[in-house]
Amino acid sequence: MGIIFFISCSKEDPDAINEQEFISNVIVTITSEDGEPQTIDWDLSEMNSQSINMKVNTNYNVNVSFLNTSDPTDVENVTLEIIDEADEHQVFFEFAEVSVNVSSASNDTKVGSRGVLINSIWNASSTGTGLVRLYLIHQPTNFNATTREGMGGFNDVAIDIPVSIFK
Amino acid sequence: MNKVKFYSILLFKILFFNNIIFSQSCDYFLRGKILDSHDDSNLIGAIVSIQGTNFFSQTNFEGEYLINGICPGDYILVISHPNCKTIKKNIILVENKDVNFFLEHHINELEEIVLQESKISRLRKSVQEVSLNINEVNSYGSNTLEEAINNIPGASILKTGNSISKPIIHGMYGSRVGIVTDGFRQYDQQWGPDHAPNIDFDSFEILQLIKGAAALKYGGDTSAGSIILSSKRKLPKDTLFGRSSINLESNGRGGKINSSLEKSFSNGFYINGDITGKKYGDFNTPNYILSNSGFEEASFSIDFGRDQINKGWNVKYSNYRIEPGILKASHIGNVQDLFYALNSKEPKIINDFTYAIEAPKQLAKHQKIIFKYFKSIGNNSKLEIGYNYQENKRKEFDLRRGGRTNIPVVDLSLKTHILNASLAGIQYEDHNFEVGINGFFQDNFSTPDTGVKRLIPDYYKFESGIYLLGDYKKNNSFLFEWGLRLDYVAYDSKKYYYQSDWENRNFDVLYQDFELYEVFNQILTNPKFNYVNLSAQTGISLKLSNTSKLNFSYILSQRAPNPSELFSDGLHHAMAAIEYGNLGINTETNHKFLVSLSKNSKRFNLLVEPYISKIFGYIFIEPTGLKQTIRGAFPVWTYDNTDAFLTGLDLSSKFLISEKLSFDFGASYVYAQDLNHNEPIILIPPFNSYQRLKYIPREENWSFEITNQIYFKQTRFPDSNFIFDYIENGSIVSKTVDISESPSGYNRINAVFSIDLKDRKNIKSNLRIIGQNITNTNFRDYLNRMRLYASDLGRNIQIQLNFKY
Repeated sequence: MGIIFFISCSKEDPDAINEQEFISNVIVTITSEDGEPQTIDWDLSEMNSQSINMKVNTNYNVNVSFLNTSDPTDVENVTLEIIDEADEHQVFFEFAEVSVNVSSASNDTKVGSRGVLINSIWNASSTGTGLVRLYLIHQPTNFNATTREGMGGFNDVAIDIPVSIFK
Repeated sequence: MNKVKFYSILLFKILFFNNIIFSQSCDYFLRGKILDSHDDSNLIGAIVSIQGTNFFSQTNFEGEYLINGICPGDYILVISHPNCKTIKKNIILVENKDVNFFLEHHINELEEIVLQESKISRLRKSVQEVSLNINEVNSYGSNTLEEAINNIPGASILKTGNSISKPIIHGMYGSRVGIVTDGFRQYDQQWGPDHAPNIDFDSFEILQLIKGAAALKYGGDTSAGSIILSSKRKLPKDTLFGRSSINLESNGRGGKINSSLEKSFSNGFYINGDITGKKYGDFNTPNYILSNSGFEEASFSIDFGRDQINKGWNVKYSNYRIEPGILKASHIGNVQDLFYALNSKEPKIINDFTYAIEAPKQLAKHQKIIFKYFKSIGNNSKLEIGYNYQENKRKEFDLRRGGRTNIPVVDLSLKTHILNASLAGIQYEDHNFEVGINGFFQDNFSTPDTGVKRLIPDYYKFESGIYLLGDYKKNNSFLFEWGLRLDYVAYDSKKYYYQSDWENRNFDVLYQDFELYEVFNQILTNPKFNYVNLSAQTGISLKLSNTSKLNFSYILSQRAPNPSELFSDGLHHAMAAIEYGNLGINTETNHKFLVSLSKNSKRFNLLVEPYISKIFGYIFIEPTGLKQTIRGAFPVWTYDNTDAFLTGLDLSSKFLISEKLSFDFGASYVYAQDLNHNEPIILIPPFNSYQRLKYIPREENWSFEITNQIYFKQTRFPDSNFIFDYIENGSIVSKTVDISESPSGYNRINAVFSIDLKDRKNIKSNLRIIGQNITNTNFRDYLNRMRLYASDLGRNIQIQLNFKY
């Protein structure tokens, strides 16, 4: 009796949630001093495997930005949040099978002398193909560490991008 | 236990076997039991006398009396007990008679363990049940649930750190364990392994634990068992008494304070209040501080009503709030972070001690109001009607970006209405029946303000149940018992799925009927399910001899999937796992056989309880693949049905070595196997045992006891490890993330020293010094989910002061 009454009334339609602080795209722009910029758009829905192409012993300016495009009418640039909270974020790169030196660029976001590596300079010391694992680390416990493990904190982003280094 | 009581109990025993006090040529006898009308427990030491004669008998440990050699005639029986209201009954004796009497018995506040332990209060008489006095349990330490469970073989605790613990019975927890408070099931978000029951155990007086779904009165779906919390019935006497206790603890540098006050009037009116507060900072292991492991808890309840023995009413309101911190180091971003945590001897984050509780943390609030009415009908029947409203609010906070840490990632509000009605004590010849109905309506709301995909969707849940219980008792040595229950359960949910998930899981084909409309890349669905569940219990209780008893019981229980098993959808941070509910989950059906064999002699008590159960459609979660996210690939776990086999043995014993010294021994073992996948079931308690030595010098005002708890290594666990690509020295290597391996076995020594302080006016006070993990052993417990990140608690010294006034 009571049951039938209850069943006849259904739950109201809940509001859809647009996930905040969600990162859907990582955009890596690589520019040599003279060349055309390459843009790698790592999109969560496509899991892009475009390759970064670099010349050996050449400086490249690398810019990393993070977007939330889950609402196409309101694309959110998450990079701005990371710059705001630079004191607890660090971009970090680990390379496999290729050897690339990374340093903070002059236009990088800095906290004291530490560069967040949103803008960095890459220089490969030998040719080959491999990959870069790009991390966005939240609340690292040791910003000076040289390995991801030593850095502590937790990963907000960890994506792999193929890298080819030519002569 | 005091000296007088000890000897008087011995005396009762002697009296019973020699109670032909006065002999005549007449040879009729009158015998039976004296029971507590409140909970059917045996009353020991009650006196049954025939007014105007020298005939009398005193009840033994089983509550039995026997008067021999009576002439036929009309008599007035006077039945009395030190803690009860004396009653008089007319009796016409023309033949031998077997008569039971019920007294309004109440456990005396100041009575000690022995009486409590000899009190066999039963919800179902053919199923063994453990009954503990919460006040007594408390004397082992401030964590009431944990201390209670430590005293019950077959029960364990599933923990998330040190402040979040939930009971496991016979290897099962969560929705399979029912918790009943004041006659109503507790409804918080109990499906979550890291969701502790939102109850202040200290505001109750009696904890009963029933292994198996025998408590059909409260539901048929709790196949593991039930924990029933209740308070004593109020006496219609002019009394005012109170109780307070303070615990101060070294580990966590905090404590608990609890106080209650009760006023009763001779016309049956009473009012009762209870308040508890707890505050702890960071706890520590033997070697380091567990950063962000402190917690705060506050609760109160008010209870008033009128009890006129044959009718009465009651209103109770209770409010509970807990804010536990979650170990900082357990917040990880992805599989790689989990790998680092597992390979690190110590947590990555160890800060200085603080009382501050930061994200990650939980905040749970529970409010409850109860209205109850009862009335005796005829001689034995009792009608009870009750309504209960519960409101549970649960928030979980995580470390977030962009200043959102103060916005919870989980924000659930659960409202539950329950209506119960029952008629008990319907008697027909030697049969006794109880019939009852339950109605239930639940509304879960998950606020969209979190900005995070809902873990559990909005839903309505309806339930209605009807039960019939019966027993047949030919004499005191044989009892047959049975019960049947039928439940109807329905869900009406509104849930968003990501279009891609909905299609990948083939739900767009299987559950097309549920689809409502699309919003961007999400689809709103309206899953509706209903279930009809049957549960049953039948058993016999046989008295084998004066000192031994055998219970045998079969229990059938059916459980509809819970919301998490159906709908959960999201990333579980601490476990680096994506958990998916499954709309295709079916009801699980458990067949369980329980045997309990007890032997109680003067110096030796033994209870052996083997059980065996087969569960068809056992609902569990299993790894089903990997899902790519912006944080790398995560293992995906999905709920499914399987068949399971569980068996085990619980043992408890007590030896009186001398009048002053006793030794307790308990042990339990569970074997649990997933039959379809041919592997062990996860999170099953390993073999464990306790040994306790108690020294109670009766002429002194102090006592001492020491307990050793042993936990073996769990050697049976499923392999849920997974592999990921790791960059090491410039190359990619495959690494195994070992989340399956159980930690080594360990033992822990606890001790309690108790001393009664000098009474001042009407205040009785007692001081206890409680030591836990005295040897400061470093260990990790298989049933603590934080074992992946940190060791368990080191030494803790508690000072407890109790006052009764």
